[in-house]
Amino acid sequence: MTTQRSVAASVKEGESATTVTAEPAPAPTRAPSTELRYPTTLRGQFRRHAPQYVAGTLTLAAFQLAMNRIDWQSKAAIDEVFGADPSRAWRPAATILVLALGAFVARVASRWYVFNAGRDAEYELRFELLRKLHQLGAAFYRKMPAGEIMSRSTSDLQQVRMLLGFGVLNVVNVCFAFASALQIMLGVSGKLTVACLLNLPLVTVISRAVSRRMYFRMRENQAALGRMSDVLQANLAGVRVVRSFALEERERARFESANREYLRASLALARLRGSFAPTIGSVAAIGILVFFWYGSALLLRGAAHGGLTQGAFFAFWSAFARMTWPMIAIGFALSVVQRGRAGFVRLRDVFDALPEVVDGARRAPKHVGGSLCVENLSFAYGDRRVLDGVRLKVAPGESLAVVGRTGAGKTTLAMLLARLLPTPERTVRIDGIDVCELPLASLRSAIGYAQQDAFLFSTTVARNIGFALEDPDSPASQERIRVVAREAQMLDEALSLPDGFDTVVGERGVQLSGGQKQRIALARALAWEPKILILDDPLSAVDAKTEAAILDAIERQAARRTVILVTHRVAAAARCDRVIVLDEGRVVEQGTHDELVQSGGIYAAFAEEQRMARELEELDASDAGDRLAVQGAAAS
Amino acid sequence: MNGAPVSNPRARSERAGSALRAFHEEGAIGKAYDARLLRRLWPWVRPHVSFIVVSLTTLLIIAVINLLRPLLLGDVVRQAGARDSTRLWRDGSGLALILVVTQALTYVQMYTMQVAGARAMADLRGGIFDFFQKLRLRYYDRTPVGRLVTRATNDVDALSELFASGALNAMGDVVALVGIVVVMIALDWRLSLVSFLALPVVGAIVNYVRKRSRAAYRDVRARTARLNAFLNEQVNGIAVVQAFVRERAMSAEFDAINLEYRDANKRAIYYEAVLDAAIEMVSTLCIASILWFAGLRRVADHRITFALLVTFTQYIRQFFEPVSLLSQRYTLLQSAMSGAERIFQLLDEKDVAPAALPPEACSPAGPPDEAIALEHVDFEYKPGVPVLRDVGLVARDGERIALVGATGAGKTTVASLLLRLYEPQGGIVRVLGRDVRSYDPRALRRLFSVVPQDVFLFSGTVLSNIAIADDTPDRARAEEALRRIGALDLFRRRGGEVDALDAPVEERGQNFSAGERQLLAFARAIYRAAPLLVLDEATASVDSDTEARLQRALEEAIRGRTALVIAHRLSTIRAADRIVVFHKGRVVETGTHDDLVEHGGVYAKLYRMQYAHEQAVLAERRAHAHELQSDSM
Repeated sequence: MTTQRSVAASVKEGESATTVTAEPAPAPTRAPSTELRYPTTLRGQFRRHAPQYVAGTLTLAAFQLAMNRIDWQSKAAIDEVFGADPSRAWRPAATILVLALGAFVARVASRWYVFNAGRDAEYELRFELLRKLHQLGAAFYRKMPAGEIMSRSTSDLQQVRMLLGFGVLNVVNVCFAFASALQIMLGVSGKLTVACLLNLPLVTVISRAVSRRMYFRMRENQAALGRMSDVLQANLAGVRVVRSFALEERERARFESANREYLRASLALARLRGSFAPTIGSVAAIGILVFFWYGSALLLRGAAHGGLTQGAFFAFWSAFARMTWPMIAIGFALSVVQRGRAGFVRLRDVFDALPEVVDGARRAPKHVGGSLCVENLSFAYGDRRVLDGVRLKVAPGESLAVVGRTGAGKTTLAMLLARLLPTPERTVRIDGIDVCELPLASLRSAIGYAQQDAFLFSTTVARNIGFALEDPDSPASQERIRVVAREAQMLDEALSLPDGFDTVVGERGVQLSGGQKQRIALARALAWEPKILILDDPLSAVDAKTEAAILDAIERQAARRTVILVTHRVAAAARCDRVIVLDEGRVVEQGTHDELVQSGGIYAAFAEEQRMARELEELDASDAGDRLAVQGAAAS
Repeated sequence: MNGAPVSNPRARSERAGSALRAFHEEGAIGKAYDARLLRRLWPWVRPHVSFIVVSLTTLLIIAVINLLRPLLLGDVVRQAGARDSTRLWRDGSGLALILVVTQALTYVQMYTMQVAGARAMADLRGGIFDFFQKLRLRYYDRTPVGRLVTRATNDVDALSELFASGALNAMGDVVALVGIVVVMIALDWRLSLVSFLALPVVGAIVNYVRKRSRAAYRDVRARTARLNAFLNEQVNGIAVVQAFVRERAMSAEFDAINLEYRDANKRAIYYEAVLDAAIEMVSTLCIASILWFAGLRRVADHRITFALLVTFTQYIRQFFEPVSLLSQRYTLLQSAMSGAERIFQLLDEKDVAPAALPPEACSPAGPPDEAIALEHVDFEYKPGVPVLRDVGLVARDGERIALVGATGAGKTTVASLLLRLYEPQGGIVRVLGRDVRSYDPRALRRLFSVVPQDVFLFSGTVLSNIAIADDTPDRARAEEALRRIGALDLFRRRGGEVDALDAPVEERGQNFSAGERQLLAFARAIYRAAPLLVLDEATASVDSDTEARLQRALEEAIRGRTALVIAHRLSTIRAADRIVVFHKGRVVETGTHDDLVEHGGVYAKLYRMQYAHEQAVLAERRAHAHELQSDSM
């Protein structure tokens, strides 16, 4: 049964129909990264949660029916109280008690079903959103900044959830509430109903207008808040400039004007918000007045002369009171629906974005040898050409250093190897297979790229290092984490942190130095053990002594796998079997360290420059100072 | 096994888990009422207290009027029963008037409260901003800017809910509730007792729901923070996630948080729905029971009138209105208090910058022609990591000093100490012959023009960035500054339609190239016309045209002033009167270029290094040009 359904579902989702046969569907061999677990359309979400919506609709109907009955029973009770035998009022009163209990249950259930459907939809859409974000590549993230993505996945998603919960509930509820209340009101007096309801559409119009304006005011308010935080952000980020130029007063004036603007915006919002209840209240009050004037007149006339009984008067009043809130709510609900749809359109920008790098058609190879071949690889970001006809070969187990100045294209080359950027077809081969033909997960597990800037997650040190491990808490993983921490010269420092390896790093945790972060990132890469390891400038922030120790560790790594080391340090490159020098996107020199040093090109110049820098570093400052003192004394 | 023993895995994982939870949920829990915090808030509220007085007075008036309304409604019904149409009209008009007046008063009440709150919060933000300006620079070295911004924005907004949510209106509610009870008893104590039979039930329900819904809302808040933090991190660290093929693991981790978030919300939904529905139910039950009781009593006692029932029904409805708002107000109050807690914690920070010292506490004046002097200065940013050691340095009026040394040798720190951005641990710093500590810090800094290595532009215009410290910028002078550095034509061309000075500068000057930003910084220095110039030469590579412009700009900026140049270019170094060589935080050599090269010390090495680098760049450029030539042939 279940397999049948999953097959049917996969057909619906547009999987190739040819795989569907009588036999169970074959287990997927690759990561199901492109299949959706949940629908990402509004219609699909409605359909998926249809049972909840149906249950919600039924319970809402039950609730409004109970309220209707309660009003009729209270009419009966009042008429009994002021009728021939007042003691008979107990029967309708007791019925009301029972009905009230039923209404309670129905009301709770209706909210439970519908609001939960909204929350479920929110959960599912958010799940799919992250999955989509995981698939999208650099091109998408360049186009949509992080703040924008966050705003879509928080406030826009919230609007969609409001539509699917609050919006649906109120649209359905208002229909039943009308039916329920009108049945009583019309039953009591058609003329009174018309008189009282004349101004009700006005309530809806006002609440709709106010809620729309409220939305704009809220956005203005948010924008003013944003501008104020921008001013503050600039002031704090530029605190050095502010102090150096003694700009405090000017900055204070700037902030004050943004602050005042925000104050104005929030008071404008407060005025609108504050005026809403009185306006609606006044309009609704007209209806109540009409009711009491005209209703009292009918009461005065008496039931016998076409007027009302006291019970009818009471029931009408009660039903009429019940109509006011739905009239207001429908105005809000309409805006919620509108905003929810707009929010969904913005979410679609993410859902519909096409990943630039997708799985290749081949199956994952059982065994990866580790040879890499790059042919005629050119790459450009827009108009800016970064790589130009790069060729290189790395044999299994070989180590290669990629050297070049900042901006030479080293990082782009490294990222293209693992298809972290859209690698052109037939330019990069691993074991002779075009990387574009392989499934992404298997390719990226085979070619491990450890990036340049040491991005750490705000979790524990151990989990950051064991990031690539399946079960970072197992004893084996813990042991491995320690070993690689030692290799990356991080063990002692990690143990000296407040909670050792369990110390949480990041904004609100312990702030690490640049060197520490980089060594944790290196340990993370070492714990991984892919067949081909690409280390992108892993040593830029560590001192020379640590660097040497780390290079030993990398050398030990290189004995077991293919290593590509991107660096601008000659000392690191010298440890590799071969070196290529990139300049302005081209390979300008290649060979062993010794060959390149002798050939007298850019690499040789690098080597010379860095040799002198090291010499300088080794020169002791106090010795030099002494010589200076001697010299100074001689001069005077 | 190495180092500390690896403990039992489950205990470990639990420990890590609880550390993480504590980390993420820290600060989520707060008291709803904290007298200490309210006392600290008072100075900010006091200037606007008249609004609060008006608001609370109006609140009382509204409560009293609302108390009269059911009586009037009953009277309308009674007049109808008495068939007296003139009194019916009079009562009806009275009722209309009351309704309109209450609504108008409600507006006044809510708005005055918001005015008081919003103004107090604006003042508080201003206060926080002023406090930021007082903090020592080293505080910023260890605190992320984002966290500070949050204090003055989100936390103050949370606190403002104290006023906006009508939490203070709860006072009015109390008055209304007591009033309703008193009037009802006065009207008919037996009927009242029957209505109040339901009160214990309400109390029990509210109590049951309140505790749970409070916990649910607290969870919601903590989970929201965690959810957004996780998502934000995924977006920012997407490159790592993809490179390490952790999409599925991260998805699973996210799923757990996402589920917790959803379920916490579902709990909150449930309790809220129960509370709303229960209060409605109890209100209906009350009405039903008085109908029942009225029926019983009316058998013997005909004073139970329809008007009385209408009045009672209305009172019961009014009674339950504020009760349903209770739990909502409570959560808002809670988050307001935790916002206040964080704000006042920040304002308690003691690391504020020192003011000017009295003259007797300062070191004696230096010689009259001395512009800048450092004597035996020791400095460290972090304890145990000395940056400057026993540094001595003098610049006389009009002298140009070049500071030279490898990265991290301490050159930039010298400039920071001259401006008193940091305080040295030992030694004396003098500017224009006076101890820097004797100056008002801002007066001291006005003596300097600073051209930093990494130029920070504020959003505004070219003009506002050149005339950075002026409220009313002098256009002619700014244009003259651009002309003197030979960049007027460049900015005119760049400006296109708009005048060169009015070209907009985006946030942090991101629409300007590194070279253009440098040029603006030079123009800024010339415009400022301060007697002392501190120039940190940029190392970033720029094209040769910009290079030439920068060279000229630098010469213009230095002309006629005492200049301290942290120099990287050979040409700049050679143009200096004296070269001071820094090495590992000490001054190791001073002299002219030729002397120092001949001496064969640190400077000679630095010089050869720089020379080798420049040679390699030139050779490479020549080779590439040659290649292009041969390509085109």
